[in-house]
Amino acid sequence: MLPPKARTSRVTRLHLLQGLKSSKNLNAEEKDLLKQELEDRIGRVEDEMKSSVEKLESELRQLLKQAGLNREEARMKSDLAKLTTLLEERIQSLGEPKGEGKTIVTPPKASTLRKFNYYLNQLLSIKTYKQLVFGVTRWEKQDFDEFGRDPAFEKKVKPLFDFFYHQYWRVSAEGLENIPEQGSALIVANHSGTLPFDGSMIRLAVTNDHPARRDVRFLVEDFVYYLPFIGTFMYRIGGVRASQDNAERLLRKGHLVTVFPEGEKGIGKLYKQRYHLQRFGRGGFIKLALRTNTPIIPCAVIGAEESQPLLYRLHFLAKPFGIPYVPITPTLPWLGLLGLFGLPSKWNIYFGKPITLKQYGKNAIDDELLIHRLSEEVRQTIQEMIVKGLKKRRSVWFG
Amino acid sequence: MMMTSMEKPHRKTPLSERVIAIMGVSGFKGRTILQELENDSRFKKIIVIDRRKPTIETKKSKFYKLDLTEPMVDLRLSEIFKKEKVHTVIHTAFPITPPRHQSLAHEIISVGSMYICNAIADAGVKKLILASTTDVYGAFPDNPNFLTEKHPMRGGIKNRFLADKIDAEKSALRLAQKHPQTVVTILRPCHILGPNIQSYKTNYLSRPFVLTIMGYDPLFQFVHETDVVRAFMKAVEGDYPGTFNIVGNGVLPLSRVIGISGKIQIPMSEFVMKNLIQFFWYLDMSPAPASYLNFLKYICVADGEKAKEVMGFTPQYSTRETLLSFVGAERLRDVDLAEAES
Repeated sequence: MLPPKARTSRVTRLHLLQGLKSSKNLNAEEKDLLKQELEDRIGRVEDEMKSSVEKLESELRQLLKQAGLNREEARMKSDLAKLTTLLEERIQSLGEPKGEGKTIVTPPKASTLRKFNYYLNQLLSIKTYKQLVFGVTRWEKQDFDEFGRDPAFEKKVKPLFDFFYHQYWRVSAEGLENIPEQGSALIVANHSGTLPFDGSMIRLAVTNDHPARRDVRFLVEDFVYYLPFIGTFMYRIGGVRASQDNAERLLRKGHLVTVFPEGEKGIGKLYKQRYHLQRFGRGGFIKLALRTNTPIIPCAVIGAEESQPLLYRLHFLAKPFGIPYVPITPTLPWLGLLGLFGLPSKWNIYFGKPITLKQYGKNAIDDELLIHRLSEEVRQTIQEMIVKGLKKRRSVWFG
Repeated sequence: MMMTSMEKPHRKTPLSERVIAIMGVSGFKGRTILQELENDSRFKKIIVIDRRKPTIETKKSKFYKLDLTEPMVDLRLSEIFKKEKVHTVIHTAFPITPPRHQSLAHEIISVGSMYICNAIADAGVKKLILASTTDVYGAFPDNPNFLTEKHPMRGGIKNRFLADKIDAEKSALRLAQKHPQTVVTILRPCHILGPNIQSYKTNYLSRPFVLTIMGYDPLFQFVHETDVVRAFMKAVEGDYPGTFNIVGNGVLPLSRVIGISGKIQIPMSEFVMKNLIQFFWYLDMSPAPASYLNFLKYICVADGEKAKEVMGFTPQYSTRETLLSFVGAERLRDVDLAEAES
């Protein structure tokens, strides 16, 4: 096995030899590579020929010995010597780059008329323009996820999110060991920060820093999918519409799923209510965990509130855009698109110990009071984690 | 295992003694199922009921001319069923494209299905197979990514053609409730594509420029025509009461569907598109009214798990393969190497 670098260079050389790379655009490095490859090949041919000649010689000698024709040996030897010199000459001539190599390095010149014709064809064909205009949305072989996630698109967007993760919000994740290496789990987190960046940051924390590099799917509020562009964008980066059916399907397939039981109330709370967990809906996530037998991992996100402090909810103008309200923050309507990302506060994400609900059995789903109690317990756990994290924090901007 | 699967259809009447009636053979589904039954040597007698004679050559089928909009059609149907001792009724008498004459469509789809169900109850037919579509769920932004059979049918909101289809399904369900001895199977295929089928959906994809709505890129799901016919044959052979989604595996967003077909996508503003399509619909230039634009905006993807588990039906073509087969036939047709069946 060749070392990886040598292998790649050999592959490129082979490609060059096969003329896959058009010959006139060779630069000095590629020429060197080509020369090396040719020399290698000639060397190999040489070696093979020499070894075969030697083999022939020895065989002949043996045959002669068996036949007892020692007299003839001398003549034979001279003939063989002649043959070898001839062969060597032939090999030498092969070594000179006049055959294969020469044609590749200097191709016959195309006539200017032909060139002109080619460019004219390119200019007149509709294909060129089609590629120019629609080249951006060219389809690739890679298939889509069944929930509409596009891995290719995700790859394009990831550097931006990584910038926010590492440089802008300097997210640090603690307690990642609580997330299982395999199998499904339900990450229940507090929702904050006007715009739901906490979902993607939790996801990046697990994909970037967890030893198993696990993928996390996050559930998104309904109203997002009513909106043009944003709804499609959410589909492509892997968001799933929040519904029991979807979440159950994901958990049964062994995914990690993030839910924000506070929902819209969570990101819609004003700055004065920061870090106060809102009521946890109807306890749908507890039912989900009971039905699919998955552990719940409580998660606290700290720092998102300060990055996008919501000062006022403007209901005027909200309806025509199809959103619940227009948020007023220090940055949002004033800085336009840049304002979407808010201020560079320091984020901390804490993952708590998993809570298993196995002991409650199958009939617990119908026990509404128990479900409510369990959801309240999870809420308390997350609230405690938040209070603990806030005590630890010294500065909003530096952590 | 082998024995039970063999016994199940034979329990009451063997296949060769069953008389199978097809309602409506002018459409693609009815015609192809009739062809399949004609070619199948296990079936001895087929009754064809339609307004027009079947276009394909028939050997063992008997044709009855009947219009579902006639008065007293339920009585005549019941007479035919009793006279021929019909065992199974396959109901595919639906218009292929959304018809412009809405009251006539209502008469055929909604009222006609009710008459058929009444006749079946009266004549004591053993089985009804109804052809529906996953469009009855409707395309909504709050649909789950995979619609199961339990999901409510909301397609009829603002869409009368689909509302009539839902009526037809409901009358079949009512029949199943009132007469539990009758096996009622409702098959809901998603968008059917293939080398032969021609519908308003294939029309949409076979033009060089495909209009889409700016900012929306819903997920699509296709099923191959042969898979649909296989599902119907499975329902004819065995007894599977209930509703089943017949869908191909996998999903593709509309933009990629257009990319694979090699067409040019023209995104339009929703307001312009809506009015343009409605205007073209009045001028008889658009195959569907503007209420169908929801299917270009929001998701309507069904889950085929139940058909797999209960019927043992697995699609042989995935969504992508179905689309490729359709596109391949389109290309051959473009260079006059192949001809459409109808």
